[in-house]
This record gives sequence, C-alpha cells and structure tokens, in this order.
Amino acid sequence: MKKFYNSALARGLLWQLIGTLIGAGLVTGIRALMGLEALGRFGFSEPAWVFGGLVGTLAFLGGNGVVSDWIKWARGIPTHDHHEDPPGWEKFINVSLDHKVIGIQYTLTAIIVLGLGGTFAMIFRTELAASGLQFLNGTQYNTMMGLHGIVMIVAILLGIAGMMNYLVPLLIGAADMAFPRLNAFSFWITIPAAIWLVSSLFLGGFDTGWTGYPPLSARAPVGMQMFFLAVFVVGWSSILGGLNLLATVARMRARGMTSFRLPIFVWASIATSLISLTATQLIGLSFQMVMFQRLFGMGFFDPAKGGNPVLFQHLFWFYSHPAVYVFILPGLGIISELLPVFVRKPLFGYRWVAMSSLGIALVGFLVWAHHMFTSGMNEYLRVPFMYSTLLVAVPTGVKFFSWVATLWGGKITVPTPMLFVLGGIVVFLMGGLTGPPNATVSTDLHLHDTYFIVGHFHDTMFGGFIFPFFAAIYYWFPKATGRRMNEFLGKVHFWLMTPAFLVMTFGMMRIGLLGMRRRISDYDAALGFDTTHLVLTVAGFLIFTSVLVFVYNLFRSMKKGEAAAGNLWNSRSPEWLVPSPMPAHNYDRPFEVVGEPYDYGLPGSKFVEFAKDK
Amino acid sequence: MAHTNKPEALRLGITIFIFLAVLTVLEFVIAIALNALPLLVVVALTKAGLVVYYYMHIYKLQDESGGEHDSYAYKTGTNRLGLWLFLLSDSFVFGGLLVSRFNLLGFTRPHLNQILGLGVTVVLLVSSFFMNRAESMMAHGDKKGFLTSTLITIILGAGFVIGVVGVEWQLAAAEGIRASSLVDGGIFYMMTGMHAFHVLTGVIFLWIVYRNARKDVYSAERHWGVEAATVYWHFVDVVWIFFYPALYLIGSVI
Repeated sequence: MKKFYNSALARGLLWQLIGTLIGAGLVTGIRALMGLEALGRFGFSEPAWVFGGLVGTLAFLGGNGVVSDWIKWARGIPTHDHHEDPPGWEKFINVSLDHKVIGIQYTLTAIIVLGLGGTFAMIFRTELAASGLQFLNGTQYNTMMGLHGIVMIVAILLGIAGMMNYLVPLLIGAADMAFPRLNAFSFWITIPAAIWLVSSLFLGGFDTGWTGYPPLSARAPVGMQMFFLAVFVVGWSSILGGLNLLATVARMRARGMTSFRLPIFVWASIATSLISLTATQLIGLSFQMVMFQRLFGMGFFDPAKGGNPVLFQHLFWFYSHPAVYVFILPGLGIISELLPVFVRKPLFGYRWVAMSSLGIALVGFLVWAHHMFTSGMNEYLRVPFMYSTLLVAVPTGVKFFSWVATLWGGKITVPTPMLFVLGGIVVFLMGGLTGPPNATVSTDLHLHDTYFIVGHFHDTMFGGFIFPFFAAIYYWFPKATGRRMNEFLGKVHFWLMTPAFLVMTFGMMRIGLLGMRRRISDYDAALGFDTTHLVLTVAGFLIFTSVLVFVYNLFRSMKKGEAAAGNLWNSRSPEWLVPSPMPAHNYDRPFEVVGEPYDYGLPGSKFVEFAKDK
Repeated sequence: MAHTNKPEALRLGITIFIFLAVLTVLEFVIAIALNALPLLVVVALTKAGLVVYYYMHIYKLQDESGGEHDSYAYKTGTNRLGLWLFLLSDSFVFGGLLVSRFNLLGFTRPHLNQILGLGVTVVLLVSSFFMNRAESMMAHGDKKGFLTSTLITIILGAGFVIGVVGVEWQLAAAEGIRASSLVDGGIFYMMTGMHAFHVLTGVIFLWIVYRNARKDVYSAERHWGVEAATVYWHFVDVVWIFFYPALYLIGSVI
C-alpha cells in the first residue's frame, strides 16, 4: 500500500483534487464578487465545474511529474535520455518513458475501462430484459447508455494505443518511440479524463447518448460538460499518440526495413495514426463549441441566434466516422499479422493488404454524412455519400480475400490466439455484410436509429477490435512476462464469448428490422420483443462472464503461468528471436532486414539478421 | 540556411517581407474595390505559400541527415517532423473554424473596424519578419542580433494580442457584436479567440527561447528550440493570413 501512496498515480490524483477545488473555487469567488449565482445544483456552478476540471487535469499532469523534463528544458536544464525503471510492479503506476511499460499501462487501463463500460451495459441491459421500467428512470438509463458508448470508445482508444505502443517499436527494431516523454504524457492525460467521464454520473448525468448532439446537449445537466471535457482531453492523447507513432515509423526503423517490408500491423498503425492525428481535432472543436455555447451563450448551434445544429453533426462525424476505422484498423492488422504464423504460409497479397489499410483510412475521410441521411441535411449530399461509403467495402474486401487465400491449403494450428483471430474474421464478416444496407439511402431510412444498427456496430467493433485485442494479448503475453496464459481458460473464454455474442447481435438485428428503436429505455410489450430482449440480456451476461474468465486467467498467469522464454509460436518476427521478457532497451544487437516478413514455409527464406556483435 | 551567408539570408528575409506587404495591401484594395472572392483566395494562398517555404523552411523536412540515430542532427530531423505533424493537426482546428464560419454566415461578415483589422494584420506580419531575422541571426551565430530581433517579435506579438483582445473585442462589443448575441458574434469571438490563444502560447514559447538564449543554451549548430519557436510563430501568422480575409474582407457586411 505504501508503494501506492508514493506513486505518480496517487500524487496525480491528489493534485487533480486540489487543482479542481482551486479552479472551481476561483470561479465561484469571481462569480460571487460579480453578483452572479455562485453555487449550483451540484455544489459548484457549471462554469466552476468546467474550469475546475480543466485546472484539475493540468494539476494532475504537473503533480505526477510527467511534464517535469519539459519544464527543465524550458528553464534551459538538460536531461538524461536513458532511464531505467525499477524492477517490480510499481513501475506501472509511476511515470515511465519505456514504450513497453507505457504499452502495458495502456493495455491494463483499457481492460479496467472495458470492464467499466461492460458493467454499464449490464445495468441497462438488465433494465431492457422486460418491457416496462423496472429499476432505472429515464435519465439514469440514458446516462448509463451514453456512458457505455463513450467509455467503450475510450477503452478501445486505450487498447489500440497499448498495442501500438508495445508492438510497433519492437516490430521495426527501434529502441523506443520517437518522443518518449510525449508518449508518457499521452498515457497519463487519459487518467484525469477517465475520472471526469465517470464524474458525469454524479453531476446529473447526460441524456444525449455518446454523440452529444445539440440542441439537447445544450440544455442537459452539468454532467454533459464533464463528458465534453473528458472527450476533449482524451482526444489530445489520441492526437499526440498518433503524432508520435508516425514520427517513430518514419525515423526509427531498422536497416533494410523499406516500406514494403514493414509488418502489416505497422501499416495499419500508420493508417490509424493519420486519422487520429488530424480528424480528432474536429470532435474536439465541435465539443468545445457546444461547451462555449453553454458557458457564454454563443449561438453556433442555436437556430434562434442564426446557428445550425446540423453543422455540429458534420463536424462531429468528420471525426467520429473515421474514428471507427481508428478502432478497427489495428485489429485487422493484428489478424493479418498472426494469421501467417498459425497457417505457416506467406500472407497472401502483402502489398494489397498494406495499401488497403491506407485506402480505408483515406476513403474514411469522405463518408461521414452517411450518419446523417435522416438529419435534414441537404438532400443532394445523400447520394455522393452513399457511393463513397459503399466504396469502403473495396479495400475491406481486399483484406478478407487475403485472409481466406492465406488460410487456403495452410497447415493450420489453433491455439487460443488463432481461435480469436478466426473468431474475429467471422464476426467482422457479419459486421461487414450488414454495413451496406445502412450505407444505402433507401434502406437506411428504415434502419436508421434501430437495433439493426446496434447489432451491426457491435459486430464491427468486436470483429475489428475486441477479438483481435484478445488475440494479441494471448499471443504477446509471453513476450511481456516470460510466461504463457492458460490455454484451457483461454478456450473457455472463447467458447463462452463467441456463440453468446453472435446470438446477441443477430437478436439485435432481428428486433431492429422489426422496428425496435435504439436508445430507448422501454418498449411496448405488444411489439413482442420481450423474449428476444431476455435472450439478449442472458447473452450479454455470458459475454461479461467470459471476460471475467479472461481477467482471472491474465492475473493468474502473470505469477503461475507456464514458463515460455523462447520463440513460442515459431514466428519470424524479430521480437520472438530474442529471449522473453523483452530486455529493457529492446534489441541488444541491432538487426537488419534481409527478406520478406511473411515468407512462412519457404525454405531458406530469412526476414531479419542480427548483427554479430554490438 | 547554413549554406548561405548572413547578409544573403537577411536580404532574402527582407525581399519576402516586401512581397508579403505588397500582397496584403493588394488584398485590402481588392476587397474594397472589387470584392472578388477568387482573387482574395489566390492572394491568401500565395502569401501562405511564401511564408511556408521561405520563413518556415518546409523543405528542411527532406534533409537527409544520415548517421547515428542518436546524433543531434538526426534527432532534430525527427523533432522537425513531429512539429510539422503537430501543425498539420492544429490546422484542422482552424480549418474547422473556417468551415463553420462559411456554413453559418455564408458571404456575409460582421461589421468590424477595418483600420484596426489591417493594423493588427500589419503588426503580425512585421513580427514574422523579425522572427525570420532572429532565426537567421542565430543560424549565423549572432547572439546579440538574435536577442534584439526576438525581443521585437515578442513585443509585436503581445501588441497583436492586446490589439485583438484588448481593443477589437471592446469595440465590437460596443457595436453590439457580443458572444451571446447573434451567431456572427459567436464566430467572431471563437475565431479570434482561438487564434489569440495560439499567439499567446507563441509569445510564451518565444520568451522561453529568449531566456535560454541569454543563458547560452543555443549555438549556431544546435538551436532546435529556436527553430521550433520560429516555425510555430510563422504558423500562427499563416493562420491569420486566412482568418483576416475570412473575417474582415470576404462577403458583405450584415
């Protein structure tokens, strides 16, 4: 416990509290002096909460020491480049500049936040198990559902950041990321943000769902502002993480690692980072504009003042649609990365797969208004956005054909990571096939805002992120710890989760087609959805249970897992050619890339060659 | 710039400044006399191109600094890429604001003080000139010249912020353009506020660099901090190159 009290995490949290009180107190004092209402329904007034939240976030970062090197630079004091972390678990709750530690910090935080988002889902899923309102009121239901959405999005952003941080420097043979301090900053800034996100629950909640559309968001309780603030701050993590990754890949590659010898996961990370670097600014801007509308009465989205609520949707979806590609591209990269290892065959169409990630990212910038077919935007925009959206199926199809062709005729073995890879392919296929009906204007007008969308979306998120994320953890866990996770529990996890998940999403699509609206807390018993909803709730709990099995397996295997120091999966990738766990500064001897990354099963082929001596 | 000598570098800075000044005057005249939107766009793009190439030295991104990955030159190349990626990201905020401005106001604009608008624009342009001069001085090892030019830039930058926030905002409010009045007020304060915030961070950045230079942290060969502050400062100027016509020149007064 003493180690916790002395940690950067505890210091940061304490300073966040102090900073928030100072910031909020300052605004309260000024308002009192100006003769404005000083206190509000939730203790402080709304402006005090917002300003306090901002100051608290900065105080967290100042207090936990992640910015101290930058402050030294500003004062003209040089700092050391190489840091050694102490052995033991406490490095994970302290500021570390090692990309592997930061990657694990991200991943563990992602799992915690994932559990939180899942808990919210279980709560409102239980409410939906039968028609009529059981134990939640409307605002509570809306807040739970909105928080489930945004908390899961944050969990996914943390999860992909964890995978990219841990893996990309190892895959390209770098000692660390290009900007280690910025990397630590990107991680730690998400902690205060996560706290603000959850705080909205206690500040009146918010009833808009995760999209925060005005005009409703312009008059929701104070919790709305904390939601905006939290997303704004997480956005910075995403932007700076993307920046760091692009610079790392551009500048830190091993000798001989040319563009078309990069591992596919690195290509996927580039595509993802391009989106998060640029588009994220627009969700930040749109949320900031609503915040200012609430605080200063600016009329951006208020028709009475000449504003335009549809503008918000354009700015919002300009990020939030490409964002789903941010969520899935790293996962699809993981699938392409692991498949050849377990099939013992070269990846089919390497160049096409590499380019398809970029293709999805670039086309992804041009499709945002397909979320707005029913919003009342200019009608002539519908058809171009329909076609651009359908175009996404082309690069995505390239990936599928590559996977199928890679599987064809391979010597397939199916340990737990491969099981999740195959599950991911099947589930993502379901998500992919249910996409075009939503992209086509004529059918979307019927499907919009129904549970069909919910089913489609969960299929893409599970296939594109959750399954590959679990696959990656089962696969690289031995690299991080020197032990492997329990195979039996891994298989229990998979066989509990996958059938339950498919039942859940098919059930959602079924009632969606029959007219079940999304985002509502209650439905008419006469619609006859009670049984399906009960099945969906049971399936939801099965998924939740399977994740508990996973978490148990994870923590148990850290201490008691079977030792696995060598090249467990018989991979060609450089990180498996050195002992596990990975040494502190990655590769003691640099390597040179001398061949293609995925030439499994070709006799005499080589991917990397380590230098003879230092 | 290391391959040119000092007088040449300074002369190039002056030439570019004269071009920018002439284009700014031309822009103002076009707006008053013709109100021709395509011409204004062409002028703004030309100005931005000049600044990005000659003052921000975007071509330095292509510098092949071979050698060890932990050499100063290689790390500076990495830092430079990081900074430009950040600017790319930041430009999406300003782009979003421009899109919002044209979506909400179309080809109308709020009634603002033209003389003041041109005044602050000139102040920022002159500051950019001195910023470029300061960097050239540093690149040729003239610490004293660097300090003088940087101090002038800081004063002009602070003058710009005071001109916009301290004077222009008060005048606009007196005209009835308030944040909470019609949406043209909201857009005006949001755009100028976001830009002024960036100018302010630039001033702080320059102040840090100025102090460090006095402590001899930088040299003609190793002055990444100076280069970063310079490029950021010019970026803020480029943003204003687009914001100024969008707020003051394009369209007709409401």
